[in-house]
Amino acid sequence: MKRLIAVIAFALTSVASAQNVILIRDATILTVSHGKIEHGSVLIRGTKIAAVGPNDQITAPANAQIINASGKFVLPGIVDTHSHTAIEGGVNEISLPNTGMVRIRDVINNEDIDAYRELAGGTTTALMLHGSANSIGGQCQIAKWKWARPASEWIVEDAPRTIKFALGENPKSSNFRPPPGIPLQYPATRMGVEEVIRKSFLDARDYMAKWDDYDARKKRGENPIPPRRDLLMEEIADIVRGNVDVHSHCYRADEILMLLNLSDELGFKIRELQHVLEGYKVAKDIAAHGVGGGTFIDWWGYKAEAYDAIPYNVALMERAGVLTSVNSDSDELARRLNLDAAKAMKYGGLTEEEALRLCTLNPATQLRLDKRIGSIDVGKDADLAIWNGHPFSTYSRVDTTFIEGQIYFDRQRDLQLRKDLAKEKADRLKKEADEAAKEKKEKKPEDKND
Amino acid sequence: MSVRRLLCFLAVLFALPAFADAPGVYAFTGGIVHPVNAPEIANGIVIIRDGLIEAVGANVPIPADAAVIDLEGEHVYPGLIDAQTSLGFPSAAPPRRGRGAAAARQQQTPPPALPETSPAFVAMREIKLSDDDVESKRATGVTTILTAPAFGIFNGQSVVLNLGEGDTPSRVVRDPAAQQVSFNPRPAWTYPDSLMGVVAYIKQILLDAQQYSAAHAIYDRNPSGYRRPDDNASLQALGPVLRREVPVVFVADSEAMMRRAEAIAREFNLRYILSGVRQGYRFADELKTNNIPVFVSVKWPIAPTNKDDRDEQPLRLIRDRQLAPTTPAVLAKNGIAFALVSGAGKTSDFISGIRKAIDNGLSADDALRAVTIWPARILGVDRQLGSLEKGKIANVVVTDKPIFVKEAKVKRVFIDGRESKLPTEDERAKRTEATSPVEGTWNLTVKTPQGDVSIIVTLHVESGQLSGTFSGGRGSGNIRNGTFDGTTVEFAITAQTQAETSDWLFHGTLRDSTIEGTVSTTAGTFQFSGSKSR
Repeated sequence: MKRLIAVIAFALTSVASAQNVILIRDATILTVSHGKIEHGSVLIRGTKIAAVGPNDQITAPANAQIINASGKFVLPGIVDTHSHTAIEGGVNEISLPNTGMVRIRDVINNEDIDAYRELAGGTTTALMLHGSANSIGGQCQIAKWKWARPASEWIVEDAPRTIKFALGENPKSSNFRPPPGIPLQYPATRMGVEEVIRKSFLDARDYMAKWDDYDARKKRGENPIPPRRDLLMEEIADIVRGNVDVHSHCYRADEILMLLNLSDELGFKIRELQHVLEGYKVAKDIAAHGVGGGTFIDWWGYKAEAYDAIPYNVALMERAGVLTSVNSDSDELARRLNLDAAKAMKYGGLTEEEALRLCTLNPATQLRLDKRIGSIDVGKDADLAIWNGHPFSTYSRVDTTFIEGQIYFDRQRDLQLRKDLAKEKADRLKKEADEAAKEKKEKKPEDKND
Repeated sequence: MSVRRLLCFLAVLFALPAFADAPGVYAFTGGIVHPVNAPEIANGIVIIRDGLIEAVGANVPIPADAAVIDLEGEHVYPGLIDAQTSLGFPSAAPPRRGRGAAAARQQQTPPPALPETSPAFVAMREIKLSDDDVESKRATGVTTILTAPAFGIFNGQSVVLNLGEGDTPSRVVRDPAAQQVSFNPRPAWTYPDSLMGVVAYIKQILLDAQQYSAAHAIYDRNPSGYRRPDDNASLQALGPVLRREVPVVFVADSEAMMRRAEAIAREFNLRYILSGVRQGYRFADELKTNNIPVFVSVKWPIAPTNKDDRDEQPLRLIRDRQLAPTTPAVLAKNGIAFALVSGAGKTSDFISGIRKAIDNGLSADDALRAVTIWPARILGVDRQLGSLEKGKIANVVVTDKPIFVKEAKVKRVFIDGRESKLPTEDERAKRTEATSPVEGTWNLTVKTPQGDVSIIVTLHVESGQLSGTFSGGRGSGNIRNGTFDGTTVEFAITAQTQAETSDWLFHGTLRDSTIEGTVSTTAGTFQFSGSKSR
């Protein structure tokens, strides 16, 4: 049995080797950055894309493993900037209005099968976020779905640090109440949410001043008592210093403007507005602040603040100059973000390449990882998927998904493994049933004596 | 014949153990002696005097003043050590609702002293061991325990106790034994109520303790010109932990949880022990390389009782619960000295849990080491305990068959050189461990605007937390943030519909075998009620 497990582990994560050279041949390459290459090839060397171009311009080195992808499509790995997949022990730390000290990287669950299912939908990178119960929710984590690898390897270590803010109904607890005996949570209004964020920045300034004073006195040769190191204040101070990117959950136009103004007032940069269903109303202001928007194409109406939404939001924001992406907020939707991107061609008439970018290069840019992922370009991480048809067709599906040159999902292998795994499960259940029956039998004579 | 000898003789004659006031001089003869530090002695002799072991061997002269205890064919062991229990503490944290709790909740940074426990909580001072607790434990051959509350996050300072007759101070072997830390989220809406919050909280308190030490070091050297730092018993209690004088026991079952504990320990340069370690089979080599002492809980995961539930489980869980009991064998193969402990398990399941490890490849000799000399070493009490060796504490257990054999019975127990009472058969039968009234499977109906939703919840109390599983109309999974104070039940589930996922927080009142109350959800507050299924 142990051998079988070893085989499975091996099958799921082809062992990394320095000499990993793979040539994907004769596919339609959707580079996303520089157009479509019919009958094209992608050469992967190690963890990176070594070459991309028409078949005749890319030659396979002698040691290359060749994947014939005639008639298939290659798309960069899909990037989801709003994921709650693979988070253990609660997505919300609901107890306080500001929980900027909590970190998603501490609670990654590398056994969440949803991550594997998302790989099967071509998704390779995600911004893992907490829920939106707090005005400041905590430190998010940019991760790659390196299924069957330790959680520490999922973390993209040199990715920007990120934090989630949230506005509106959730942080003001509009739709849920603490149980009896627990007082209502501050804030209860949108004004209060703004104030929680503002106060936090003002507190962080005091905190920084305290440490500056300590450092100065130390420099003068004094022996001052060190101030407390406060994990929450450290994080907010790092936003002020520009070391942490802000991603903020929001719905309504008024609160979006509020946050843009607040960022001007307090001097922080918002990298991406999340959900942003009314972004189309204030797209110019969002664009003027250089802020991105990650939204749903046709998902709304699930609460009062999510009513005034339109499927043209994506196209309108994009046309107004907002760097826009479609993201999931859902383990299920994260498996088919390609289709949400496709709908932006219907609603608002984005070009094919613009629409493709909505789930690849644009979210990669929002995460400030566009130098590494999001398109098929030489030197980028070999994060990509081979599709059996154009990713914008509902009939297409992923055959193989690569992250950094390694195969993390392969449809054929998955189908083969199913039989083995079903057998292992049946065997194991039978073993348990047999043991239980034996135990019962042994117990019986005793019962009679009683 | 001395009076004592006469008494002993009579005692043996009537099969009534003698409970002498003072530890005397005894010679155990004729038994199969298992010294642990040396090979077994077929017809061995153990002499104990004034609470200590005086001699062990095949040809040891029997002192004239010794009471001879003839144990023909029986087995003699050093008393077993159970290095992770919460004996003498309530199974769950006391209720902490009310005005004080509400005020504490609003603080941005909760103090190191939570209402349930704190680093300054001294198990030795707070413990309330009942005779039942102690005697049931002895009946399994355990003469020494480490104990601390299982609830809270910083569970406090654990203590190593001998389970002899007498009061707590006379029982103490090592105090404090360790500072104990558990990754227990607090009730919903009380910081920290999520796992990520618990990790942040532990780190913050350790940072505060570092600052506290630094501040006091400066101030104590020369207070002139400094604002006096506040006093804080909890942060002070963490000083020895930061200085590596006292180890931290991290209660961590899964691989992921162990890695969280290791990350914290590395960041703060702590001396630490991992306890639980149910998934140790996965990375024994790493534990070996990093030389991490481990306590493996023999409370093995069990299959759901319902066949449908079993069939629906993913292979990952089934595989894990079958491989968990191989952990001790895998560790032993890697040359790791570990302890087998009851952890969150019941006293009566300790030996059967060890037997399961033996069934899964652990040798009986290693099993014995894992409840004697190995835990003694890890706890730093191996000069006093863990083997039958001259100069060690006279904790001696006599069994009729090899101790891990299914039919084996503990016949006599000597602790600190005194014979200690074992429960009689009648007492043993009566002492089926009380289960909490909330334990069991509940069929709940939630009245939502879309109609009634049936949810089946299976609840149990362990490690100071209400835990369990749910299934039915809103998906299935583990419950979170469970609490039970005797009447009020609270827990959260992640409710799934086709449209969305949201947290449902149940808050109910228990009456006999019914629960009634409310469910707080993002879509409003609903009524629910239900009863226990038979």
